[in-house]
This record gives sequence, C-alpha cells and structure tokens, in this order.
Amino acid sequence: MSLACQIEGKFPFFTTLGGGGLKGGLHTTGAKWFMIESQRHSYHLVDPSPWPISGSLGALATTVGGVMYMHSFQGGATLLSLGLIFILYTMLVWWRDVLRESTLEGHHTKAVQLGPRYGSILFIVSEVMFLFAFFWASSHSSLAPTVEIGGIWPPKGIGVLDPWEIPFLNTPILPSSGAAVTWAHHAILAKKEKRAVLALVATVSLALVSTGFQGMEYYQAPSNISDSIYGSTFFLATGFHGFHVIIGTLFLIICGIRQYLGHLTKEHHVGFEAAAWYWHFVDVVRLFPFVSIYWWGGI
Amino acid sequence: MAEIELKTAPADFRFPTTNQTRHCFTRYIEYHKCVAAKGEETPDCHKFAKYYRSLCPGEWVEKWNEQRANGTFPGPL
Repeated sequence: MSLACQIEGKFPFFTTLGGGGLKGGLHTTGAKWFMIESQRHSYHLVDPSPWPISGSLGALATTVGGVMYMHSFQGGATLLSLGLIFILYTMLVWWRDVLRESTLEGHHTKAVQLGPRYGSILFIVSEVMFLFAFFWASSHSSLAPTVEIGGIWPPKGIGVLDPWEIPFLNTPILPSSGAAVTWAHHAILAKKEKRAVLALVATVSLALVSTGFQGMEYYQAPSNISDSIYGSTFFLATGFHGFHVIIGTLFLIICGIRQYLGHLTKEHHVGFEAAAWYWHFVDVVRLFPFVSIYWWGGI
Repeated sequence: MAEIELKTAPADFRFPTTNQTRHCFTRYIEYHKCVAAKGEETPDCHKFAKYYRSLCPGEWVEKWNEQRANGTFPGPL
C-alpha cells in the first residue's frame, strides 16, 4: 500500500480533498494529489519557512538577555523571557508544520524518513557526549580528591544521601518505563492502536513517578549545588539527567497524543521511534549516576 | 667545623609522582594524628614533623594550623 493510500484510509476527509479513494488508483487522480503525484522523485522539497530566522532571533535574544540578566542589567530579565518565549513559539509552530507535512500531506516518504532518523541518532550521540562530560567531572573530582577538600570523598561535613533509599528505589523505575515503551512499539507494529495508547500512558506514568521521586530527593537532600565540588558535580550530573527525563517525558506525551489521534501507523512512526531511542538513552544513563555518584561516590 | 647535614623527607612509595602535594598533606595529618594519640612530649612524632616541614610550603602549614584552630580543617584528623 502506498503512503498516499494509507493517508486516505486514515483520514477520510482527504478522500474528498484528493478524490480517488482507496480503489481509485493514484495515477488516475494524479492532478488532484498535488505534490505527491506531481513529482517524479521521493524527496521532500520544502517550502520557504520563517522558523529558522525566528528561532535564530529567539536564540540571540536569549543569549544577550541571559548575559544581561546575570550581570543585573536593566531589562535583562525581560529580554531573556522574550527570547525564551520566542524559541518555545518557534519550536511549537515548526514542529506543527513538520507534522502537517508528514502526516497530513504525506511528504515523508521512506527516503525522507532517513533524514530525521539519522538526525535523531546523531542528536542522541551528542547528548551522550554531553552527559559523559559531567560524569568525567565527577570522577575527576572524586577519584583523587584534592588537598583543598582534605583528600577525602565525600568532603568532610558534606551530607550525602543514602544510596539504598530513594536513589535505589528510583533506579529501576526508568528501565521499567523503557520496557513499557517497547510494549507500545510492539502494539503499534501489531496495529493495536488502543493498546499502544495504554502502553504509552504506562510509560509516561512511570516517567512522572521517577521525576516525582527525584524532586522529593532534591527537596530532602542534605546538601545543595553550592556545597563544595561534591554538590557541584552531584547536582550538575543528576540535575541534567533529570532535565533529560523531563524532555523525554514531553516527547512521549506528544507520541501518546499522536497515537490517540491515529497519526502513527505500522509503517510510518518515525516520531515514536525517535522518542523511544531517546527514552532508552535516558533510562540507561540513569544507571551510571546511581552506581558512580550515589553509590560509589556516597560511601 | 662540623658539616651541616641537609635532609628532606625520604621517598615514600605511596607518593611516586613528581608532585608531592599529597605527600606533604599526608605527613601533616600523620603528625597531628600521632600527637593526638601519644601527646606532644614523646619523640615518636618528631620524624613526621620533620617530614611535613621539609615538604610543605610555610603558607600551607599556617593556613592548615588556622583551620585546625577554627575547626574547619578538611582532612581526616
């Protein structure tokens, strides 16, 4: 079944838009199937879009506003907020356009899908490097503690969390959520739409429980990010991991909504796959802070 | 006229690197642990004092002495 047919089957209003119908034969209705049928290649030639420049302006305002805010310049907070709102708005409309182009207009052929797939993988690779730097910092500081902190780790007077309490409780939750997202993937491949939504609800619920525990842990923590190199490395690594969990959760929520709306099919669900890869990256990475920062570094 | 004998701390295999910061710090701690266990009077602790005084810069020792007086010394005493 061709992509255009899939779309027609999935979205009845397209039948009226494009004519033809499932049995119509695409080449007979070629003229009505605008871009898909009028081109003789499977690549997506994108329309001009204002979002790259609006995103760049948002990034500029965020950077300048951030520097101004941190140096207590007048209007710094305003410019920073404006820049962040601009970026968030750009993300929203840009992704909205991508969803329209892929799901509703059918531009994402198998060849086009390779782009976001490679893009997602390279993005995750860069994220691995990003978090690797924080574990490096933590290991650098704790394997040979300097004379300035007394040559001991954790430094004297720094209260550390018991790794066998909330941290240990929280560690299996993310891999469980990773198992649930695999369940959702199998449900999509088996065309069990409702079950896939259910599996994604389970995935997201486990993610929210994990973030809740992390919040509780931070709330009760005996030290903060200003407490010596221990606090700096601990909260930098665990905090950025937690931030990634939140991003992954939002990504999965979007996939759940799209699955509920019938956007994801057995043959075409790149967005879901990217979310699942990202989620496995986040859940596997949780094991490293547990072993090296909470457990080894806290005893 | 007697020769003046110049001596530094002996090589310690716990600290094989050129940078002897940790050696100095450890000897400082060993001296104060020794004094705490055996008292100021015994000659047993003299060797540790000689080691850390020959290894450590004066300012470091002054700083650590102040920290010990204030109860803010970070080392494992």
